[in-house]
Amino acid sequence: MSKQFVISVMSKDRPGIIADITGVILGLGGDLADLNQSVLGGYFTMILIAEFNDNVTPEDVFAGFSHIDSDTRIDANIMKMDIDLEIEKGKLPKETFVVTAQATNRKGLVKIMGDFFYSRNINVLDLVTTIEKKCYTMIFQVDLTGIDSMETLRNEIEELSLRENLDLVLQHYDIFKATHEVGTPVAEITT
Amino acid sequence: MLRSDQIMSTVEMVHKENLDVRTVTMGINLLDCRQGTAEETCSRVEEKIAKTAENFVGTCNAVALRYGIPVVNKRISVTPAALVGAGFDKEEFVMLAKSLDRAAEKAGVDILGGFTAHVEKGMTVTDRALIDSIPEALAVTERLCASINVGSSQKGINMDAVAMMGKTVKALAEQTADRGGFGAAKFVVFCNQPGDNPFMAGAIHGVEEADVVLNVGVSGPGVIARSLEKTIKNRGRENLGLDDIAEVIKQITFRVTRCGELIGRQVARDLNVEFGVVDLSLAPTPKVGDSVGEILQILGVDDVGAPGSTAIVALLNDAVKKGGIFASKTVGGLSGAFIPVMEDAVLADAVGKGALTIEKLEAMTCVCSVGLDMVPIPGEVDADTISAIIADEMALGMINNKTTAVRLIPVPGKTVGEMVSFGGLFGESPIMEVRNINKSKRFVAWGGRIPAPIHSFKN
Repeated sequence: MSKQFVISVMSKDRPGIIADITGVILGLGGDLADLNQSVLGGYFTMILIAEFNDNVTPEDVFAGFSHIDSDTRIDANIMKMDIDLEIEKGKLPKETFVVTAQATNRKGLVKIMGDFFYSRNINVLDLVTTIEKKCYTMIFQVDLTGIDSMETLRNEIEELSLRENLDLVLQHYDIFKATHEVGTPVAEITT
Repeated sequence: MLRSDQIMSTVEMVHKENLDVRTVTMGINLLDCRQGTAEETCSRVEEKIAKTAENFVGTCNAVALRYGIPVVNKRISVTPAALVGAGFDKEEFVMLAKSLDRAAEKAGVDILGGFTAHVEKGMTVTDRALIDSIPEALAVTERLCASINVGSSQKGINMDAVAMMGKTVKALAEQTADRGGFGAAKFVVFCNQPGDNPFMAGAIHGVEEADVVLNVGVSGPGVIARSLEKTIKNRGRENLGLDDIAEVIKQITFRVTRCGELIGRQVARDLNVEFGVVDLSLAPTPKVGDSVGEILQILGVDDVGAPGSTAIVALLNDAVKKGGIFASKTVGGLSGAFIPVMEDAVLADAVGKGALTIEKLEAMTCVCSVGLDMVPIPGEVDADTISAIIADEMALGMINNKTTAVRLIPVPGKTVGEMVSFGGLFGESPIMEVRNINKSKRFVAWGGRIPAPIHSFKN
């Protein structure tokens, strides 16, 4: 029998973190599945899924990370997955849309958008934000499977845009696939 | 996984550069509508269009709303009327025209094309009846467009038909004199007319097509103009060559075409009909910022028509094709850059300044699609001169194996420099000068056929 752990790691960025983390996992006989990693403001963050034998515990993994010989501290969270990995690895929902929001930077911008989505039961699948020359950009990937009316949502987004002085655009994810994924025939993108 | 900059560049293209889908055109086969009498045939035609296109406009609107990309025009093309109405006389073709017009209205489309005959080699009695009916048919209808194919690279040019075209254009303008000769704006003469062109006035549903097909015309020139301006600003004019410019056009056309095909295929899938082609043509509108002429100005000529204009159009047309062909599974129709004078504010402005002449337009049509399009000329220009202009343009298409077309509007009672306005997408322009009028009568009077060129014999 085997089991899957979700492991999140954060540390001040330096060369060798990936080698250290994956070394611990391999040492415990773990097999890596999905992994996402990025560096934000000089901090390294990574979330990964790995499969271990039944006798390995989250504490074993945590102990392995604690013994990494480095000046930078590694903070980690390890949880046993309670859903099947194959389900999690399914494709994006059919009604995946991208909402881009831009505004002059001020406090509370992400919360405005978060509240908007939450109050409409819209699940955010992915979020990336950047700031450049005081312009704050948020790119949300959202699942609109549960909405009642696209027309209503577009009107509400327009109202939000005017009320909060946000430049908001809602577009289907397929548009981005069509314009940027050269190898995907359009006939396969349409749903 | 898409990167943030890729997402933002697409958002910019759609919302700041006004990307849209210029037209989704449903082609409908009407050959199976033929009944024992003209009345019964007309009735069947209306029924078939109504049934086939019942959900067409609604589906286009729903897909546009879902994807956030507007579909500007929803149109219908049908099997050439000369085939559907084989044996009809002139009055019966006018009856068919009215039926097609009513069908277009019921379907909620603004234009229906296909009041058409193909006569490049010879004319049947039916073809002549259809041609005779065109002035009245277009004068008494609102949405119907007509086209006649008088030449092809394979068969040559039917000069008897060309002679009739000059008279038809004149009669059309005169029958609609109260609207500035607007009837002539709904009539186009072709060489090598394609059967899958989604753009009006020359859209037809070719006999080689399936029962119902959806063809799409991609976004207009505004997206390319904005993209070029941005590139020149960001990279600096001194750091760019025309090969770089061609590359920018190619890249943006790729993305524009992919969007057009995505929308078209989704509409086709939702309607459960076959997807036909993406037409790569850059079709301008009179709206500011949506002009092919503006692209020429950005690329270095102060006025369209100045020396260099033809070279720029050649570059533009080629880059559009290269980007589009790679993007789409099936490209067809006209696929080039349109230079319709009245429908393009910058072209119309160049006419007003005297920078753009019919001769220069003709030169530009050697390297782009589609021909002398929406050109207002003085009402006094005689039918033979119009036929001779048509013959010249047909010869360009025949020899160069490309589609060319002529849509001239001899505006009754108006002369060079006076403005004519049709409003909306048909636009406005000062009337262009036609030089050397009344000098081609003997040529047009020959009739017969201009033989097909030697390079047409490939069997």
